[in-house]
Amino acid sequence: MFLHNLRIAWKSLRRNALLTALIISGIALGIGTSTTFAAVRHAFARHPIPEKSDVLHYVRLDSWDPLKPYPGDDPTRPPTQLTYRDAVGVMQSRIPARQSAMFKTNQYVYPDPKVGRPFRETIRMCFADFFPMFDIPFRYGSGWDRKADLGPEPVVVLSTTMNDKLFGGVNSVGKTVRIAGRDFRVVGVLADWNPNVKFYDLTQNAIGTPEEIFLPFHFVQPMQLRTAGNSDGWGTSGGLSGFEGLLQSETCWIQMWVELPNRPAVDQYRDFLAAYVLDQKKHGRFPRPLNNRLSTVKEWMDDQNVVPKQANTMLIVSLLFLAVCAVNLVGLLLGKFLARAPEISVRRALGASRADIFLQHIVECEVIGVIGGVLGLLLSLAGLAGLNAWLKATATRSDFFQLDGPMVLLAVGLSLAAGLAAGLYPAWRTCRIAPAIHLKVQ
Amino acid sequence: MEFGPILRAIRRNKVRYGLIVAEVALTLAVVANCVHMIREARREMAIPSGFDDANLIRVTSTPFAEAFREDTYRDNERQRDLEALRRIPGVIAASNSNFLPWQGGGSSTETRPLGSRGEMLRNQMYSVDEATLATLDARLIEGRNFTKEQVRSDAERLRALFATNRPVGTDGKPRDKFTQDVVVSQAFAKLLFADGKALGKLLEDSDGDQYQIIGVIDRFYNPYGWPIHEYVMFFANNAGSFDFGVPYLVRADPARRGAVTAAIEKALLAVNNGRNLRVRSITEIKEQFQSSSSLLVRILSLVIFLLIFVTSLGIVGLTTFSVAERTRQIGTRRALGAQKGDILRYFLLENWIVTTMGLTLGVVMTYALNVLLVSTLGAVKMPVGLVLLGIALLWLAGLAATFFPALRGARVAPAIATRNV
Repeated sequence: MFLHNLRIAWKSLRRNALLTALIISGIALGIGTSTTFAAVRHAFARHPIPEKSDVLHYVRLDSWDPLKPYPGDDPTRPPTQLTYRDAVGVMQSRIPARQSAMFKTNQYVYPDPKVGRPFRETIRMCFADFFPMFDIPFRYGSGWDRKADLGPEPVVVLSTTMNDKLFGGVNSVGKTVRIAGRDFRVVGVLADWNPNVKFYDLTQNAIGTPEEIFLPFHFVQPMQLRTAGNSDGWGTSGGLSGFEGLLQSETCWIQMWVELPNRPAVDQYRDFLAAYVLDQKKHGRFPRPLNNRLSTVKEWMDDQNVVPKQANTMLIVSLLFLAVCAVNLVGLLLGKFLARAPEISVRRALGASRADIFLQHIVECEVIGVIGGVLGLLLSLAGLAGLNAWLKATATRSDFFQLDGPMVLLAVGLSLAAGLAAGLYPAWRTCRIAPAIHLKVQ
Repeated sequence: MEFGPILRAIRRNKVRYGLIVAEVALTLAVVANCVHMIREARREMAIPSGFDDANLIRVTSTPFAEAFREDTYRDNERQRDLEALRRIPGVIAASNSNFLPWQGGGSSTETRPLGSRGEMLRNQMYSVDEATLATLDARLIEGRNFTKEQVRSDAERLRALFATNRPVGTDGKPRDKFTQDVVVSQAFAKLLFADGKALGKLLEDSDGDQYQIIGVIDRFYNPYGWPIHEYVMFFANNAGSFDFGVPYLVRADPARRGAVTAAIEKALLAVNNGRNLRVRSITEIKEQFQSSSSLLVRILSLVIFLLIFVTSLGIVGLTTFSVAERTRQIGTRRALGAQKGDILRYFLLENWIVTTMGLTLGVVMTYALNVLLVSTLGAVKMPVGLVLLGIALLWLAGLAATFFPALRGARVAPAIATRNV
């Protein structure tokens, strides 16, 4: 019966090919645009590390100016980053299973002169826990151990791309890389690791790619490393100048992540932070009311507006566009079906029930919906390819927008729903045609 | 006029006409809001910076040769670089400054008028030399620019000052204060002083150090993460360090811009090749900064086009069926003496009434959607003129979409009426 209905639907669609093409292209445009912009939003909003969504926490402390809050839309928000003193201070806690203060810095890398000229590279300064905490995969070797953090030992982790560039892709563990006038021993090379959102540092380009070189954090002092990211300051310099002045100042420039395996650990760590700040208050720091924040990856992404406002706007607009396409479809189907009244009357007179007629037309609508949906998927593939090309030109990333499983399911669901929603009324009207009137005329 | 019959026909086919009403209403709401967003984005993109953006070039020299760690070596190379830049044919001006227009950020500090008890006001702050204002083509409306001698002496003083820690008084602030000459933007001058008379006045920062305003420029606009786009303070200093490189701004003769851009790297490497160079036009930097806005404009334009296309399609479809269904009635009217024009007018009028109903509903929806978008996008309120324009546009689209099917209806021969009855 279903196959029979499919055949009737196919015949009916072929009878007026131009009209069918218009109907299908309308719905395909609607599905195409809404799927594209759902995928755009999804690319930003997708959880970059879902397996650790509950245990990773970003740490903020309100060390800002007593006279006014940290600038931004929301005056209750503490600064986005920590001062150097506080980062080192909270790293003393033994509560987190893993933890890392971190920042990025631009430094010169001096490759073997046969390989190329010296070049400047963005380097992430972090602790040993950085790699296991974020489940970062290794191709060769591994991260450094916690002992290397203390020295700090001159060890370095490279990305695959950097290892290709410096060592032609061979296992470079044990070899030496010269960075900013010092030699570092390679202990590990990362496998491909490219989270959709650079969640561990959202302060500048949230969809940037990870750094290619990683060094132990505590080289910050001997090498006098300054951040290549944002740094926000306030208040008096206290007369301190130079690099030591920066380290002692209230300038915020360091990101801090902790892994807290369970609820009690979270509570314990909150207490630790509160005690830390209250202790600092005794030394005349932290003039604002106690305002510490522990944010999960998702909360931190929301706080930093990782999903651009334009992505939300375009999703709303494209869904309204789909609604217009669906309303349009209702009108066209209604006309198409009602024009078929004489034929339907004959079928009814020959014994077809109302339910048969209704089902036949619903199947026809769903066929339209599915064909439109498939075309819409193709359209959105084209649209996303265009957006990726645009993004590559501006952000050196070419695979950010993708039509993954959930998005294909969404497109299929949308097209079935649109076919059904648009078809219900016309099909119902059609099956209620009184055969007698139309039979009389013929 | 056939108002009566049309209204009765509409009342009998509520759903069918209701669909057109809904479609037109939704279309107006979406189109008006899209056009509104496009205009807002365009307006923001068209804000002038106050500089000769099109002919400015940014050059960054990032040294790797260890000799650059030494201040005097770097100073010397900086002078040689500037001379080399100025020798390139087609270069109008070249300067050393860490100000980079249109990068979407920069550096900032907080100051307030000396002696005021008011809150500290945040402003952008950059170091410049005597040639920076000329390079930017910024307009000095009051006071004077820095002299070459002042850049040299101020840089020397600041270097000595920050070479060691400063002695601190009982308030935790440096005991000995310094005064620095600055050039500010007029918008910042007006923010600081209600009467806008800023020339010669003194400001202080959170250390109690003072800034004397020696010049005022207008205009200045550089987008920043915080709402301080128009507030700036320029001071005289040598910009650059070993870690962050030495930044230059170059203004080229429009006719020789390409040649200048191409010549810079070679000219500077000839001075000293212990470094890498990066040359970018401000146009490029501005396009990058505005790339998401310009993409939004293009996508919204496409959506508007498609939406009007789909809606017109719907109107064509419904009118076609409407005509087909009434073939015999049209034949009868024609047989009873109606002219082709009468039939055409009937359908056009019918469509106009339906479209107008849709537009009435659409105006309400337009403002509802605007409120929604204002809350998600922080957009501006919808201007009335734009809604009127949208109404006119959809009236036209509706009539155009009705015209051809209606014309087919008008061509129905009177004889049809007598057939098949």
